[in-house]
Amino acid sequence: MTLAADRNHEGELEVPEGYVKLTIDGLEVVAPQGELIIRTAERLGIQVPRFCDHPLLDPAGACRQCLVEVEMGGRPMPKPQASCTVPVADGMVVKTQHTSPVADKAQQGVMELLLINHPLDCPICDKGGECPLQNQAMSNGRAESRFVDTKRTFPKPLPISSQVLLDRERCVLCQRCTRFSNEIAGDPFIELLERGAGQQIGTSATAAIADEAESAANTIEGKPFQSYFSGNTIQICPVGALTSAAYRFRSRPFDLVSTPSICEGCSSGCAERVDTRRGKIMRKLASNDPEVNEEWICDKGRFSFPYVAAADRVLRPQVRNAETGKLEDASWTEALRVAAEGLTAARERGVGVLASGRSTLEDAYAYSKFARIALRTNDIDFRARAHSAEELDFLTAKVLGTNPETGVSFASIEQAPAVLCVALEPEDESPIVFLRLRKAARKSGTKVFHLASWTSPAVTKTFGTLLPAVPGEEPKELDHLDSAVRDQLSAPGAVLLVGERAAEVPGLYSAVARLAESTGAKLAWIPRRAGERGALEAGALPTLLPGGRAVADAAARTELETAWGLEAGALPTEQGKDTADILRAAADGELGGLLVGGVDPDDLPDPALARTALRSAGFVVSLEVRHSAVTELADVVLPVAAAPEKDGSFVNWEGRHRPFEIALHRSDGATLPDCRVLDTLAIEMDADLFTQTPKAATEDLLRIGYAGTAVAAAPNAQPSEQPTRSKPNQAVLATWRELLDGGSLQADEPALAGTARTRCVRMSANTATEAGLRKGELAVLSAAVDGGGEVRLPVEIADLPDGVVWAPGGGEFGKIRRDLGVGHGSLVVLRGGGSQA
Amino acid sequence: MTEVDKLTPVLTKRWLSPNSWTLRTYEQLEGYTALPKALRGSPEQLVQLVKDSGLRGRGGAGFPAGVKWSFMPPNEDKPHYLVINADEGEPGTCKDIPLMMADPHSLIEGCVIASYAMRAHHCFIYVRGEVPHCIRRLNAAVAEAYQAGYLGKNILGSGFDLELVVHAGAGAYICGEETALLDSLEGRRGQPRLKPPFPAAAGLYAQPTTVNNVETIASVPYIVNAGADWFRTMGSEKSPGPKIYSLSGHVERPGQYEAPLGTTLRELLDLAGGMKDGIPLKFWTPGGSSTPLFTAEHLDVPLDFEGAAEAGSMLGTTALQIFNETVSVPWAVMKWTEFYKHESCGKCTPCREGTYWLTQILQRMVRGEGTETDIDTLLDVCDNVLGRSFCALGDGAVSPITSGIKYFKDEFLALCESNRAKGASQTEPALAGAGS
Amino acid sequence: MGMFDPIKGFGVTFSTMFKKTVTEQYPEDFRATAPRYHGRHQLNRHPDGLEKCVGCELCAWACPADAIFVEGGDNTEDERYSPGERYGKDYQINYLRCIGCGLCIEACPTRSLTMVNFYELADDDRQRLIYTKEDLLAPLLPGMEQPPHPMRLGDNEQDYYTKGPQLAREALPASGQSGQSKEAGQ
Repeated sequence: MTLAADRNHEGELEVPEGYVKLTIDGLEVVAPQGELIIRTAERLGIQVPRFCDHPLLDPAGACRQCLVEVEMGGRPMPKPQASCTVPVADGMVVKTQHTSPVADKAQQGVMELLLINHPLDCPICDKGGECPLQNQAMSNGRAESRFVDTKRTFPKPLPISSQVLLDRERCVLCQRCTRFSNEIAGDPFIELLERGAGQQIGTSATAAIADEAESAANTIEGKPFQSYFSGNTIQICPVGALTSAAYRFRSRPFDLVSTPSICEGCSSGCAERVDTRRGKIMRKLASNDPEVNEEWICDKGRFSFPYVAAADRVLRPQVRNAETGKLEDASWTEALRVAAEGLTAARERGVGVLASGRSTLEDAYAYSKFARIALRTNDIDFRARAHSAEELDFLTAKVLGTNPETGVSFASIEQAPAVLCVALEPEDESPIVFLRLRKAARKSGTKVFHLASWTSPAVTKTFGTLLPAVPGEEPKELDHLDSAVRDQLSAPGAVLLVGERAAEVPGLYSAVARLAESTGAKLAWIPRRAGERGALEAGALPTLLPGGRAVADAAARTELETAWGLEAGALPTEQGKDTADILRAAADGELGGLLVGGVDPDDLPDPALARTALRSAGFVVSLEVRHSAVTELADVVLPVAAAPEKDGSFVNWEGRHRPFEIALHRSDGATLPDCRVLDTLAIEMDADLFTQTPKAATEDLLRIGYAGTAVAAAPNAQPSEQPTRSKPNQAVLATWRELLDGGSLQADEPALAGTARTRCVRMSANTATEAGLRKGELAVLSAAVDGGGEVRLPVEIADLPDGVVWAPGGGEFGKIRRDLGVGHGSLVVLRGGGSQA
Repeated sequence: MTEVDKLTPVLTKRWLSPNSWTLRTYEQLEGYTALPKALRGSPEQLVQLVKDSGLRGRGGAGFPAGVKWSFMPPNEDKPHYLVINADEGEPGTCKDIPLMMADPHSLIEGCVIASYAMRAHHCFIYVRGEVPHCIRRLNAAVAEAYQAGYLGKNILGSGFDLELVVHAGAGAYICGEETALLDSLEGRRGQPRLKPPFPAAAGLYAQPTTVNNVETIASVPYIVNAGADWFRTMGSEKSPGPKIYSLSGHVERPGQYEAPLGTTLRELLDLAGGMKDGIPLKFWTPGGSSTPLFTAEHLDVPLDFEGAAEAGSMLGTTALQIFNETVSVPWAVMKWTEFYKHESCGKCTPCREGTYWLTQILQRMVRGEGTETDIDTLLDVCDNVLGRSFCALGDGAVSPITSGIKYFKDEFLALCESNRAKGASQTEPALAGAGS
Repeated sequence: MGMFDPIKGFGVTFSTMFKKTVTEQYPEDFRATAPRYHGRHQLNRHPDGLEKCVGCELCAWACPADAIFVEGGDNTEDERYSPGERYGKDYQINYLRCIGCGLCIEACPTRSLTMVNFYELADDDRQRLIYTKEDLLAPLLPGMEQPPHPMRLGDNEQDYYTKGPQLAREALPASGQSGQSKEAGQ
């Protein structure tokens, strides 16, 4: 924006192409065509009061608080205009409340009207102290109200979902929440009801609630405000009409210490603000980052912080007592000594490192360096999920080293003529990408294609087209895309988004790479976890070293040995094992030890194997935030800080560096980041990592620099043979993890869990009939191969191909892999389990 | 001049014929004679004809119909829509529903001609939901017209297609506002839309749309038949044509009186047999409750768009509600304000909260509990609503109050006076500071 | 230095011997303060024993010495401490910091927080000088009931604020005047 536009020699403002010149309160200003008066005024530093106006929502003009006087072509408009709805025009003269008594009176009048029905309950309102209505009533309102009659009242509060409470008395009916839900999120579960002074926000369940008794009896069953983005409505509500169940009454703005931070919830790296009070996180808010999350975050990012204060946090180092077999608290000195001795001994037979996909870049670098220097192995992998060698090649060839300038960014999604999502359900697996896709489709007419098994809500809400595929046959579908789709993806700027689930389908990454080659579409890899992209850059993989260097590349190794100050030939030369191989080797007793950093065995492709591996490995060191299945079996447990308790950075899926500072200062034991613990552990093992702090790790990483010498040919793996259905009640399983699945970051937050989607198994009507199932009945899913368990879920009918069923995977709510022992693309057996109670 | 001479039955000429609503009667009385003429001409010619006739919108605002039609894009790359606003809800207004009851085919013929002129192939008649008898009759007439080939594919062999749909509203005054009507027609909540874009650019389903009043469209066949010059023989230079004046209230013979625009109330009262029981006139509305009140001194104001505006009111829908000396102005104003409070859509603050507050003050005053401060508050709140609301409903809501206080302030003061007298006679001491 | 200067001081001593003594034998002889003396804080109750504090933190906001800590809580139908939605779940005043200015009293929107005459706010343990809600709550007078309990004087908080004393008189006719705290009479 050009506020201080150039002045020509006569001192007049130059008006560039596409701009107009106008006067606001006597100040000449140049503004881009189409800009709304209220924003031009704001750039000039003139604050016009407003409620319904929001820069990211379509203008409404509902609250009438922003009235100003406008003069066009020397003729004043007969009525004051709502500055949030009128775009600037050349020669316009605007007078705000500062220069126009008419505008001033109009604003004061509207404010008085807004307040007549607003309850005087600021003392108990969560918004008190940060309330636009309070502030603007002070700046643009009358000192005293003339209203002496009866205020409109409603019973309150009304829960419209487990995490959002509605207070209709406080509502000024600006419609920000309904417009957000309708326009941005595409979840129009809240709407205006009734009319006139009785108008109110509500859901279909609240419509009939008129009196107190009904309110008390009201539950949120039926159709609650069940949106993954509902928390944003709380944040943009200009009054305290929508409040958060989690934050309700817990603090005041002046109590809070706010720290800008980055969300650890997924790979988008949303900017957020963490508000803490006396060592506890009170709430998280979305920050404004136009390049990434704009002003929105998903509910998982907003509400899933209580895990930090969970009762099962590891707060003291623990060492397993050799005699009792129990973990006992130990000093750091002792625990580190035992761990170092154990690992040094195990090093002879080899130690595998299972790093976490949630690590910061600095921590991942520390794991990577620790494996190479202290453990002298390349047996390291951050992929605590289904993975493949094909994926390694794909990442090396197509993803490593890309950044928002060279690769795909949020902005390029928004501008793309067409986007294809492969193995990615954006709303569940990358909600902010989903919001951008929806915005692109709404505002720029982007065509969104989804290669998936059924029309999930995200397909509908991105105005998308489903390219139906049976699990396992996705590569075939990609190779034989409809020519119309292929043409659209060949347009300049088209984008392919591929999710980490592609690793579950052999040949899919190869097909995606082929499609990108043949269409020229830009390619982006969107993992679920926040740390995966950073771990890739940090070389926490069996074939890669930090900074885009290949293990197999002798020159790269030499370069790194020099940079790290090692003897020549100190770095291991042999390509390492990936997660599956490490676990297999450990289970077979081939490994001397395991170093595990924040991995949940149930996320791994074979949870049973992972448990066996942890038991069979000679010596297990676990770096953990909370007690887990790994700490139960570990010999040494070292507490580490959760993301808000440390500084560092994430690399988001775009390749954008997202640094953040410590938001929560703890005074108890769990304050050290992984990199610090590993650094000290390495010193015990006579190795120097130079990662004492995340800052030091960053320095070290910068010093070695990004080489980008690792190259790989695009993978060309063959699709595996499709399992054939031998019986009518067999079906191919499609699955992905839903956003709210009770995963480990979502612990201890029942309000958030309450808005999770209803768990169910989806299938076509034919499949259901064949298996003798009806909608709503409980179906029992079991693995077609022996040894698997069962899962019971109610049946929903959806447009899946016949012979395919979908079930939610992962998390506390749907441990498909643990319970069935199989994943996406496997055969399962369906049978009835009786009707649902 | 005899009384009958002042009447110019054009739109109402068939109303007294037996079974006037049937296609047969309509056809017998020159019905559907304008349609073939219109279809022979080009759309541009029709628009020009209506422009020349000077026909102005009969829904209240008086926007020239021909000019409105000419805003429709001349090409047909998008579907065009014609929407008839038959959501007649303004208090006192009762011209469109009688017209559709008595002579629905004139509206249908007008719809076909107007749709042809605007290249629309879909026309919707949005009728307020409270009048099912009217909707039934309209539906029957539409079915007859389809049967006779006046609607549907290839009308009268001209190659022009038109689908006509009668849609029943759900009973909201706001849906008489054209953009709220469009939202309601689309199945959404009836609330006015932000303009621009205007309906001619993005109206129904975001396609070019024209919204016209029933009376406007029903006038079109007569203009096509008799020409623009004939139309201009009635009324004034700027407000030509006949107009249905709806007289209600304290008159001997309330009803519809079709007379040229510019007729005065004095003349209309003569037609209607004078004030009921000879009780003198006290106040009246020229065009429904949303137009500022007139009093006996305005009896000779010519009732056309310019005349009413010059006298400080608006022509509105020419719904003349006539009140005699027995009616209390504050009471009448309160009743009207209660109506607006009930009908405010709630979208914008001034109208939603303003009508809520004004109703309470007026009710208090009528109960005899008002003070002089309340009159000032009333006027100031009206000032804060007038011109501040999203649509014209807010402006309409305050006009009875401001004009009522303007002409009859003494009645409001008298209510305050009685309150004071009552207060003085009370023996209980007032709370300290309660009166301030 | 004058000749009589060394004994001048005795003059004062002698003259004082004949005046009334002002020494207070505190703590043996405990004397009441002026009636409006601002001593320790008290969290008042409604006539039925429900707390007046709504946990709004306005006192903490007003406090120039940052001596007050409040955290609000959510009343439920099963567990009610105050009329309305919100109550003060945690309330602490740190008398090491409090300067007795009374701004918190002025800020209190429900007249929950007042000051009483009690002034013995000294101790040899810093921890004991942080008074918690239990220390600060007004004692239960006759007719009051220890919260949590449902609203006894009305259906909602409006009844408590607008008609509290009157409802109390009606609900508790037997206890009469003694059943009401001084603040409830406002």
